[in-house]
Amino acid sequence: MHPDLLPVALANYVGLSSVIFVIGVAGVLLRRNPLIMLMSIELMWNAANLLFLAFARAWLNNAGHIFAFLVITVAAAEAAIGLAIVVVVFRTRTNVDVDEVAAMKG
Amino acid sequence: MTLLLAIWLLPLAGAIVNWAFGPQLKRAAGIIGSAAVGLPFIGTLLTWRAATSQAPGIHQHLFSWMPGFDFGLLLDPLSLIWTLIITGVGFLILFYSIGYMWPDPAIARFFAYMNFFVFAMLTLVLSDNFVGLLIGWGLVGLASYFLIGFWFYKPAAVAAARKAFVINVVGDVAMMFAIFMIFAKIGSLSFASVFGNVGALDGWLFWICVFLFIGAAAKSAQIPLHTWLPDAMEGPTPVSALIHAATMVTAGVYLIARCWPLWNASHEAQVLVGTIGGLTALAGALLGMAQWDIKRILAYSTMSQIGYMIMGVGVTAYQAGVAHFFTHAFFKACLFLGAGIVIQKLADEQDIRRMGGMRSRAPVAFWAMFAAVLAISGFPGFAGFFSKDAVVYGALEHGHPWLYAVGIITAGITAYYMFRLFFVTFFGTYRGETAAEHEHEHDPAHAPGWIMAAPVAILGVFSVIAGYAMIGANSAWSRLFAQTFPAENVPSVAISEGWTTAILFVVMAAGIAIAYLRYATPVALANAPARLQLESERMPAPLVKLFYFDDVIDWLFVKPSQALGKFFGSWLDPDVIDGAVRGVVAISVGLANVVRGWQTGLLRSYALIVVLGAAAFAIYYALQGAVR
Repeated sequence: MHPDLLPVALANYVGLSSVIFVIGVAGVLLRRNPLIMLMSIELMWNAANLLFLAFARAWLNNAGHIFAFLVITVAAAEAAIGLAIVVVVFRTRTNVDVDEVAAMKG
Repeated sequence: MTLLLAIWLLPLAGAIVNWAFGPQLKRAAGIIGSAAVGLPFIGTLLTWRAATSQAPGIHQHLFSWMPGFDFGLLLDPLSLIWTLIITGVGFLILFYSIGYMWPDPAIARFFAYMNFFVFAMLTLVLSDNFVGLLIGWGLVGLASYFLIGFWFYKPAAVAAARKAFVINVVGDVAMMFAIFMIFAKIGSLSFASVFGNVGALDGWLFWICVFLFIGAAAKSAQIPLHTWLPDAMEGPTPVSALIHAATMVTAGVYLIARCWPLWNASHEAQVLVGTIGGLTALAGALLGMAQWDIKRILAYSTMSQIGYMIMGVGVTAYQAGVAHFFTHAFFKACLFLGAGIVIQKLADEQDIRRMGGMRSRAPVAFWAMFAAVLAISGFPGFAGFFSKDAVVYGALEHGHPWLYAVGIITAGITAYYMFRLFFVTFFGTYRGETAAEHEHEHDPAHAPGWIMAAPVAILGVFSVIAGYAMIGANSAWSRLFAQTFPAENVPSVAISEGWTTAILFVVMAAGIAIAYLRYATPVALANAPARLQLESERMPAPLVKLFYFDDVIDWLFVKPSQALGKFFGSWLDPDVIDGAVRGVVAISVGLANVVRGWQTGLLRSYALIVVLGAAAFAIYYALQGAVR
């Protein structure tokens, strides 16, 4: 492997990605504001993207780059739908605490 | 030939027309209904020569259903006699019904059913094979059910109809078994091929005869399947006359006469059928002594007379059994129709204790029934005399002396209870409580009296002359059946026919004399109400309880069936079957209750589970990597 291609050690990328992912998970689990939860999901997407790119560079395989674009596209769609749901829920109950939105409770 | 088809199908056409256009036809249905039976009678008379000239009679092939089963019509002397009675007496009864059913709004339905019955009965007797016979057999049972329950708003009529149908179906099923056995052995069901191969039935012959006879016993009210017949009197009186006296109930006699090659080959079957016939004759006569309902007396006498016929054909005196059917049809129809006139004059009163003095109020019924009562008693010169003598003597000739004795005793009882009916109804003074004078002659709501009187008078005349064809050794009757039944080679017996006639006459005269002393002497007539009251109080219990047949059948079959129904209805179905279904439901509900507890609706807890799952996978693979 050429050192110019990956000046920082691969383990650092993996570590940073893990930290960002866990922050995202924690945001989804702990926050009750759906907007914050959507942002946390974005964090997780991007942690995954970082790993795709890092490994693509490390192993000289462009599939990782292509997959990153795919993830960005899906993330954009997810954000659009997620925001739309949030807006609809907010219109019906003027309150967007996800713990209160439990109509499907068994 | 087409005439035979017309004879067979005209009553069906009448039934369809009366059924479809009944509301428009109203009383005109009676004319169509009578014509649909009267025209076939004329047709039958026209075919007489062709049916009797050559040996098998007229055979008309209709269609082939499958190999071994061709459906066709057969008019030979045996079915000719039945067809003549069905259409001839049937026409008179239907004509009478125009008057009897005049006030009934459902008169068209009545004639539709009656025509349907005649069609079914003709199917039974004209069929040239066992399947057609069985179809007719079932259809007459259905027609009988319709007509017994004609007044369906009477609970007793509905119950009687159901009882008759159930008992008849028992017989139908038994007959079906017999037909299965015949088919299994011979592979064909046409009369010609079955009776040509009786030897092939070998060991099964007796059981085939037994099952055929169960069918005959159910239809012909033989012990112990007779209990439906007295109840069937709930139907309109013309129905009782046509179906439950003259024609349908004699189908069993027809069946055995038709199957004579089977009976000739099985002595055990002869003994069985002769014995049941004799016992039925005796039991019917004994029970007839104890009844007060005019129609029920006639019903028991019908049962008793059919017992004679069955005894006759059972002991292989086929000509005699069929002869008794022939004469009985006239005098019994006459008795029923005469009783119908009396019943209608008394506004549906049927209890002879509340009759009396009907002689002046119903003179036609009086004279016609007088002839018929003499005929059924076997008074010399009247129709029943010739045929009853032949049956009783036939039993002795064919080696059944004790059936001969039963026949003679029964003849005495018959004379007694028929004259009891006659004296109590027609003599003395009217004993009815309601002075309901129903003299219909000038009442526009009722038919002219001659419509009902004329058939009764004609039947009364035939009650006298119907037996004249049977006089002598080489009579017209025996010539008619010379080719139908085998030439009988009977050994000479100890008692001659002349002595038999003499014994029968003495016994009959004794029966009439006792009836006269008890009911018709001036003293008896003067004290009639008190004496009849006393007689009903002192009636022996076995006679009142009809020899416990109904109770035993109830105890043997009805009660266990009800218990079984209760078992299924109150335990097996609700607890076991429904229980299984409810158990499955409960398991589903229980599982659902467990699972729905997990559906908290808390989005973040779902996310936590997803994360934990993902973490578990991650740890698993990490450990795998570490092990490797």
